Amino acid sequence: MNREEIGTLNDEQVWLEEARRGDKNAFGRLIEAYQGPVYNLAYRMLNNSGEAEEAAQEAFIRAYTRLDSYDPTHKFSTWLLSITSNYCIDQIRKRRAVMLSIDEPLPPHPALHSDNSKGPEAEFMTREREQLVQGLLGELAEEYRQAVVLRYWYDMSYEEIADVQQTTVSAVKSRLFRARRLMADAGLARGMVPAGEAAVAAM
Amino acid sequence: MEHEERYYLMMMDALDGELADGDRAELESHLRACPDCTREWRTLLAVETLFRQTPMLMPAVDFAERTLARLPNRRARRVVMGATYGVLLLSGIVPLLLVILLLARYAPILTQPALLAGVWATVSGIGRAAATVVGALFTGASHLVIEQPVLIGWFIILAGLVFLWGGVFQRLLMQPTGVGSRN
Repeated sequence: MNREEIGTLNDEQVWLEEARRGDKNAFGRLIEAYQGPVYNLAYRMLNNSGEAEEAAQEAFIRAYTRLDSYDPTHKFSTWLLSITSNYCIDQIRKRRAVMLSIDEPLPPHPALHSDNSKGPEAEFMTREREQLVQGLLGELAEEYRQAVVLRYWYDMSYEEIADVQQTTVSAVKSRLFRARRLMADAGLARGMVPAGEAAVAAM
Repeated sequence: MEHEERYYLMMMDALDGELADGDRAELESHLRACPDCTREWRTLLAVETLFRQTPMLMPAVDFAERTLARLPNRRARRVVMGATYGVLLLSGIVPLLLVILLLARYAPILTQPALLAGVWATVSGIGRAAATVVGALFTGASHLVIEQPVLIGWFIILAGLVFLWGGVFQRLLMQPTGVGSRN
């Protein structure tokens, strides 16, 4: 852990302590620090920018009101992401109850509509990749999707994912195993090109 | 196939960077010989690369500001919760203390045999009266069933209609109105 990371962690502890005492601005610093990871998780789970923003806001509000139940021996980020992903799973189940499917053509993330800093070709590629990623995630049951997102975007260990999902490490391994195979099959069906010859040697 | 499952597990370990050296050599050798597994491995690797290269998405620039504005007031909430718990606690403790005080104050009077006999006579009198009323109600109901079958039929039809309409109203009230709120 470098000096900058230690400094950030110390700041985080201070902000948490102040937020616990009711200082909204201190919690605002935490929102600024974690808005990206929380929003990204919500978007990857829900595949809709409006719902993702609502879910991310709700996750921060829940975290703020439940700060007293946060155990400082665990990482704050893991606790926060756990609240977010569980809220998203509830939303997916509610959505299913009103007969809406994740496969419906939903609007892409606003950042993907247009990006002047990239050329049209790069922008097209970005959008294609995003659509493929969200399409593959959409093939998965919510617990599998949660495990995949936490693994790939947050580099969580199996133990951390098991902690978030309140399950065993072997169950997480099994979910990731099935999820990867499902996504590989779905990828092929969507015309995804397998990695080249060098892949065999890339282990 | 069983052998494929074994190699699939090795592929997962390889993706996680946890494949032992002995297994690595075995998997490499198998991939050179098995086109199906090679295709699977390449596809898994393509998915892995795709996900690893896909960046995090950020919310709108004013997200933090808008979220901050929605936060409840923790101090006020804590005061309200504390007051609620206090009231609940007092509502249980105060009557209990009053009963204890009254018992302590009037214990000599309450334990007099004449008073206890009087209380018992009152309680048993109330019990007998209640039993008489319930018995009369049952007798009346049985007479009604025997003597007025049409009235009973009407009651049954009325109850059926209430049940039916209750179900219809419940279904109407449970109709979903929307997916959820958005900002």
